[in-house]
Amino acid sequence: MSEDVRFESGQFEGIVVRSPLVSPARLADVLHKRFAGTESYFGGEPAVLDFSEVSDWPEQVDWSGLVAFFRRLGLQPIGVRGVPESFDAALKRLHLAQLDATALRLEAVRRAEPAKTAPAAAPETPAPPPADTPRAAAPTKFIDRPVRSGQQIYAPEGDVVLMAGSNPGAEIIAAGSIHCWGPLRGRVLAGAGGNLQARIVATHFGPELVSIAGIYQTFENGLPPSIANRAVQVKLQIIQGQSHLLIEPIDTI
Amino acid sequence: MRIVVVTSGKGGVGKTTTSAAFASGLALRGFKTAVIDFDVGLRNLDLIMGCERRVVYDFVNVLQGDAKLTQALIKDKHVDTLHILPASQTKDKDALTEEGVEKVIKELETMGFDYVVCDSPAGIERGALMALLFADEAIVVTNPEVSSVRDSDRILGILQSKSRRAMEGREPVKEHLLVTRYSAKRVEEGEMLSYKDIQELLRIPLLGVIPESDAVLQASNQGVPAIHLKGTDVAEAYADVVSRFLGEDKPLRFVSYEKPSLIKRLFGST
Repeated sequence: MSEDVRFESGQFEGIVVRSPLVSPARLADVLHKRFAGTESYFGGEPAVLDFSEVSDWPEQVDWSGLVAFFRRLGLQPIGVRGVPESFDAALKRLHLAQLDATALRLEAVRRAEPAKTAPAAAPETPAPPPADTPRAAAPTKFIDRPVRSGQQIYAPEGDVVLMAGSNPGAEIIAAGSIHCWGPLRGRVLAGAGGNLQARIVATHFGPELVSIAGIYQTFENGLPPSIANRAVQVKLQIIQGQSHLLIEPIDTI
Repeated sequence: MRIVVVTSGKGGVGKTTTSAAFASGLALRGFKTAVIDFDVGLRNLDLIMGCERRVVYDFVNVLQGDAKLTQALIKDKHVDTLHILPASQTKDKDALTEEGVEKVIKELETMGFDYVVCDSPAGIERGALMALLFADEAIVVTNPEVSSVRDSDRILGILQSKSRRAMEGREPVKEHLLVTRYSAKRVEEGEMLSYKDIQELLRIPLLGVIPESDAVLQASNQGVPAIHLKGTDVAEAYADVVSRFLGEDKPLRFVSYEKPSLIKRLFGST
């Protein structure tokens, strides 16, 4: 067996919590409504706590309280961003990394991206094959079992593909698009980070709620027969600056 | 030893009736079987098994070290190989601890039991979680109505995340669907979901369909597990369930409704 230990630079998936608040008590107040009753809302994902939006830093911050609070939500805080230097010692004691440098680097990569794609619109320059681009593709989550009532699938980046559908009372949230083979039921939210291009595509459409980039629709009175239990896609359509959900059957021949 | 949890999420669907009948059925086949009532605070299983007058020590006494497991296990009066561990009526459900339940289950294993049937309380709280924690297989009891199906779906999700098998990343708990209180007539008339509808919604293998019957009420009042009511459709349906669980091939019965013929309608059924 090889005993070669390697240290590689790598990127991994996680959640960024952007919080304008640093008091655990205030956070608990504000988030109580959103996560009411669901302890361990997240599934143990690593998290970076971004406090760059904090305008008024107190002298003392209950860092261990903050970490405990986010742990209760089911996150694993691994580092922070946007924290003044005066808290360096406190953060070290809790083994929280300061990720500002990394953050800047990622930001730079992200900023470089549009510049790269913009010239591709010009007629002469063919877009480089996607395999050559250094950007790591957002990971796609494949879910092989039915998503059941009370279960939540959360993809903070990328798409979700449901291979066995979802049931009433399930919740599927993705930053990207949501694809579904089999019955699509429950609450289905694509483009959760504000991605207007995200879509929901299903072979057997029948959710209680669909949303793309926060524009949502419920189906209180049932679905119209033209889309109920059929192959359907949902996307955003912008009419006169207003976003609307377009829900239409797909011709599957 | 295999641990089978009988669960549903919803109350009143027939979990305890099923636990009693199923455990009795396994024991009738010669397997050394224990059935444990996890409904601490609202014990029912001992009534349905007809041993309520023989309860001296209960599950919680054993968990708290006040009694030995052998003292609390009650031998069934119908089948020699069946033992009942009754729930406590006076204790709080917080008495159920993970370590305690694990210890009892390990002890049952050393005592040579083949099957342990865990009768889960309704809901998704402590008692229900403890009942399913160590399960190898789950019988999800569902009535042919929407809210029951929804609750079963919820409990299936919990089985996939909160069972030891799930948490340790082992092979998932084997799931079985059991539809109870089924009236083929009302399904025919469109008042109830059909077992096919339910299976389509839950997407787990069907173990059986138990018809709605007055015999169940009669059996529980007499303290006789329904599988012992010779000649009733319920007893036969439960016997089929046990056979299928043990891997035998049995066609579904009592799921189609035939309109009574003119002669029967004129002269009444015999």
